[in-house]
Amino acid sequence: MNDPVSGIALGMVIVGLALSTFITRTSFLIAGARLRLGHRVEVALRFAPVCTLAAIIVPDILLHGPNATLDLSLLNPRLIGALATGLWLCWSRNIFGCLAAGMAAYSLARLYL
Amino acid sequence: MISGVAMVKGGLAVPWAILMSLLVYAGSAQLAALPLIVAGAPLAVIVATGLITNLRFVIYSAALRPYFAQLSLHKRARLGFFMTDFTFALFMRTAQEGKLPEQNRDAWFAGVCTNNWLTWQVFALTGIVAASYVPTDWGLEFTGTLALVALVGPSLVTRPALLGAVVAAVVALLAHALPFKLGLFVGAIAGIVAATLTDAWQQRSPPASAASA
Repeated sequence: MNDPVSGIALGMVIVGLALSTFITRTSFLIAGARLRLGHRVEVALRFAPVCTLAAIIVPDILLHGPNATLDLSLLNPRLIGALATGLWLCWSRNIFGCLAAGMAAYSLARLYL
Repeated sequence: MISGVAMVKGGLAVPWAILMSLLVYAGSAQLAALPLIVAGAPLAVIVATGLITNLRFVIYSAALRPYFAQLSLHKRARLGFFMTDFTFALFMRTAQEGKLPEQNRDAWFAGVCTNNWLTWQVFALTGIVAASYVPTDWGLEFTGTLALVALVGPSLVTRPALLGAVVAAVVALLAHALPFKLGLFVGAIAGIVAATLTDAWQQRSPPASAASA
């Protein structure tokens, strides 16, 4: 096995990556703070959470394996877990209940399906 | 945890993996950069990969801006750096429901972000230290996805939000093969456009009862 990667070059990479997080996360909070975005954009940004979350969640649940194949079947443990969380959410907003229900369903599905 | 295990199994020395987790604090960017680091890619290429993978945070920061505009530069920088997918969505939902008094919004957000940072680091460091013992297929990281499901669910009650989410999901699925998580970014933008158009269309042709008022 190769020696673990370390050293000054890696330190610079880490600082560079930290900057990439910092720059993107603070972009409009610092550099763009004075920009006037206009009413239309402000309205559009209200939908930012729901749309980005959907774009993160759905592929994570439905795409499987090394080739990222689409799995819409009810044998997909991640789909079962997400559905269980969704059902729990219908009668309780308690996030821990949702997580417990989802993880229980997901784990059972992985063990037995 | 998966980022911690991946960094060490990918070949980073433990102290450097810890430093990376503490300073970079962006799981998807770390995972995207890892193969490039191991292959010895040029610094600029690795940083560019990080920037592209993190593009969605630019949208988040634009959405947060009106809430924190009056804070000092130092506070805005701190809140921005510790913001994540989860804390951003949680803040936006709570704020839009009108549950956050204006004068302590930033304290609330800072608290949520601190908790999230600590939890994430505990799991990441566990992954780094125990990389050779932890089986990566426990599936614990799926809790993160489920937390996002629980967060997004209640927002899906209006037509623009629902349509935006569907468009975002479909486009993200179709575009998943794009590198650097760009599929996610493209999907999010498409969803936001769809939701905004639906919203504008609803405003123009309001339901009959509202029109007569």
